[in-house]
Amino acid sequence: MNRITKHRVILGIAILWAGALSSCASSPPPCAGPQTKNVDDAISHVQRSLNNGCAAHFDRFYDDLLTIAEGDPRPENKRRFSEFLVWAADEGILSQRQARDYYNRYFNVKFISMAGDYNNCSHTCPRRDRVMLNMERELSDKERGLLKISLDNTGYYRADELYREVELVLEATCTACIAGN
Amino acid sequence: MQLAPTRTLTPASRQYLFELLRVTGLALVISLIVAQQSQANTPTIRLFPTTVVEDLRQTSNVAKEMETGLQEVIGRLDQQQQLYLESKCEGAENDPGCQRLSKQLGATYLEMLSIMEERLPDMEHTVNNTRLSLEKRLRSELGNKMTSWTLQETLLGGSAEAPSAPSPSLRGRSGMRLSERFRQYYQLVASSSSKTDQSLAVLASDIYLDMEETSELIARTREEITRATLIEQLNQSFGTITPEMMEIVGGVKSILFGDEATSFQIAGPPPGSIEQAYRSPLEN
Repeated sequence: MNRITKHRVILGIAILWAGALSSCASSPPPCAGPQTKNVDDAISHVQRSLNNGCAAHFDRFYDDLLTIAEGDPRPENKRRFSEFLVWAADEGILSQRQARDYYNRYFNVKFISMAGDYNNCSHTCPRRDRVMLNMERELSDKERGLLKISLDNTGYYRADELYREVELVLEATCTACIAGN
Repeated sequence: MQLAPTRTLTPASRQYLFELLRVTGLALVISLIVAQQSQANTPTIRLFPTTVVEDLRQTSNVAKEMETGLQEVIGRLDQQQQLYLESKCEGAENDPGCQRLSKQLGATYLEMLSIMEERLPDMEHTVNNTRLSLEKRLRSELGNKMTSWTLQETLLGGSAEAPSAPSPSLRGRSGMRLSERFRQYYQLVASSSSKTDQSLAVLASDIYLDMEETSELIARTREEITRATLIEQLNQSFGTITPEMMEIVGGVKSILFGDEATSFQIAGPPPGSIEQAYRSPLEN
């Protein structure tokens, strides 16, 4: 009797396992990125996924959306991304600050790498190389967001000019700060 | 029962009252506009006080004097060198005529070194004055009074839009006379009241870094002049023209009178589209 019960339990587990495997094979993997080339559809897909427990994959989804938007560049893309990020902040997937950073890093002329609350002599100058390296990386993201996705040439060239101006002004200011020590 | 006397206004007092109200209203409007403007304007950065402007003007004058003094000697050196080459003196150093030419060339070269030795201290002094004034201003206005964020906002000039006219690239003015360079700096700074803080910060940085390089160059040149003078005095005894001599003259000429070959510039990127893009509520 006891032996028959044991066999039944093993059989039950085997059936459940086979069922689980077959369902995995037929449905898409969890938290899959958008497959469409249409930006609006891709955003809708990502919004659904984020609401269905895939919030931890936000970075990957955002990158997917940027790639899809690169294939359909237009000025309205700025608004689309802004609205998507405002939605993500409203849903509690991102904090307000994260949403601002995600937007400004790609679609604003100003550099978030230049955020700082202390004076330049004491804070920026000692880490000038790192600040410039971060700005360089951010400029490359702005090239993607402003130039390749939003067709905002003016914005991108202003960001590029700003980068060069910051480099020159920081070099002079930091030399003056060091000379004063 | 006595009625209280009715208070009526005479036409004259009524006109006075209207006038008073009009003036008060006008004053209110003006004070509102002024208050708005003072709020809109960020605090002005003082990078070019009159002392810095005066230092720049003086540096330009000293550079001009040095160039004028050297121009004639360098012209003479060129002619003598030409004559030396045309007389096929290279390889014929023992020829008495060539020896005479060589001595003349050496004497003119020594004259050039002596003029430079005489004028360079003044030049060094004024360049250092300008450099130190700017250094103090940059440290205080951009280094200690600003964060990286406020510096960025100053450079952007309150709007993230592209400037109406492209600003000239300032660094690397090697193809220009020294005095012309300082004259341009002086003019840029002297008309700075019409400039924004944005371009002033870039201009001050550019001039300061240029002064740093010039100052180092002058100090090195002064050291070299002593050595070159000694060597040439020795050469005078043997009557030879060294390649180093020609190299130094060439170097002095390119510093003072500019180098034509360096003025070539590659065109910048095409101007961006005028279409003004969407502004997100997320923008900083």
